Amino acid sequence: MALRIRYRMRHRNMSKAMGPCGGPLGRITRLRKLVTGVVRFERIESVFGWTDETRGYVERMIQEAIKHGDRHGPTMELADFWLLEKDLIHKLFKVLVPRYQNYTTAFTSQYMLPNKYPGGKISMAVLELKGNCYPPIKAKERDTSQLLTNILLDVARQDYVLQKLQINNSTRPSMESASCWHSQNNVIIPNYVDEITTHINTLSIDPKTSTEV
Amino acid sequence: MCLVSKSKMALPTRLAAKCVAKNISINPVRHTNLVTGWLLEKHRKSKLNKQRVTTDDPLAPLSDQQKEFSVNEYKFVYPDFLPDPVWYRRDTIREKLERRDMLRRRKVLNIPEFYVGSIMSVAVSDAKAPGKHNRFVGICINRGGHGLRHYFTLRNVIDGIGVEVSYDMYNPTLKAIEVLKLEKRLDEELFYLRDAPAEYSTVPFDMDPVPRPLGASVFINTIKVKLGPRPWHCRWERENLKGVQDLGLPQRFYDRAALLEQPWEKYDIMKRYREQIDEDDLQGIYQDFLKQRASISQMKQS
Repeated sequence: MALRIRYRMRHRNMSKAMGPCGGPLGRITRLRKLVTGVVRFERIESVFGWTDETRGYVERMIQEAIKHGDRHGPTMELADFWLLEKDLIHKLFKVLVPRYQNYTTAFTSQYMLPNKYPGGKISMAVLELKGNCYPPIKAKERDTSQLLTNILLDVARQDYVLQKLQINNSTRPSMESASCWHSQNNVIIPNYVDEITTHINTLSIDPKTSTEV
Repeated sequence: MCLVSKSKMALPTRLAAKCVAKNISINPVRHTNLVTGWLLEKHRKSKLNKQRVTTDDPLAPLSDQQKEFSVNEYKFVYPDFLPDPVWYRRDTIREKLERRDMLRRRKVLNIPEFYVGSIMSVAVSDAKAPGKHNRFVGICINRGGHGLRHYFTLRNVIDGIGVEVSYDMYNPTLKAIEVLKLEKRLDEELFYLRDAPAEYSTVPFDMDPVPRPLGASVFINTIKVKLGPRPWHCRWERENLKGVQDLGLPQRFYDRAALLEQPWEKYDIMKRYREQIDEDDLQGIYQDFLKQRASISQMKQS
């Protein structure tokens, strides 16, 4: 199985991972802790470089678990090595493997956190497993093209363009010609204006007691 | 898959040294291959491409003809066809052309399946030898290299002197490669034979080929070599050798070896992933290899 994330061609040394003079063992120890954390909490915050390194290991571990299952000796040993808390080995094979069985994308997401002033040069990042129970980090983008304001802006933009194009033409473009464009292009302009005026008339708005909507 | 080359990353020292020697500014961005592998494949399959490849499906299930050995065994039977895993040496087009050349050579010269530990004989054309041909018999102690640069080394003891000869497998002056005894050993490299008595490396020149029954799996010779007295040319206690007897060293050697050991290396899945060709790529390479082999076998021998 191929890795579905961007990964560096050389590993990071993570020289201060477990204090000074940690060396490769310090790096591996820190990675084990981070991998354990990701599998337990499904969303962790750490230094970006460390989360980026961890990401590869998490993805590969889950890929091996999916490929070989929980009856395969070397894969069990691998899970035993990387997951320092042994109840997570059960979670890996019984919860994460079924969850990610049919994924075609990566199993993890990584987001950079903002560098608050004064801050340091090192950026923090969030590493999370996909399909976790927490609210999403990035809010789902809504389609705003059908909002009244945007429709009116589109029409106004068309008016402006037509005006510019028909400089020599004496007939001035208008709302009708713009709405013609809309009807030709199957864009329905809902008749909000009438609706809103009738609604306002039905309400008894007292300027003293009215609140902002 | 996606490769990242960050501008701040240092070049490997050999490449950096070359850049310095040729007065080239050290910029880790690759200049050699402007058409990346994925871009090429994207173009080949694009609907706008007139010569669109529609039948290329690297993940299609293998046919019966293709199942003579699986993708995993292909790595061991034809290790020379595997590309170099180092990222800045990968080039899809060059690899395809190399594979084609290798198969064309294999059509002319029979290159048999062999492993480290097999006893082989190689005949080369040598202008300076009597009869213009030279034959050497020995035990294969290592093999390496990728593509057309694949090599193997044979070792024998002649008149009490250990002799090792390295051959480039696709060298056009090679006349014949014959496997006299096909077997494997417990180690991937047998350099420790240099420190072992001569009897372990001696192979008679007039050895008859040992017949191998069809369909049999490769025999694994579990011999444990007894090394000669020290000094040795390598610290064998640090190499995790399986094919040698107990080295009989003082405890301090083993203590130092234990200190330098990195037992987590076998669990370092990212390191292993970087050192090997990805399985999906391997599937594609294997399919291309089969296709080329089929087309070249139909070619007239030139």
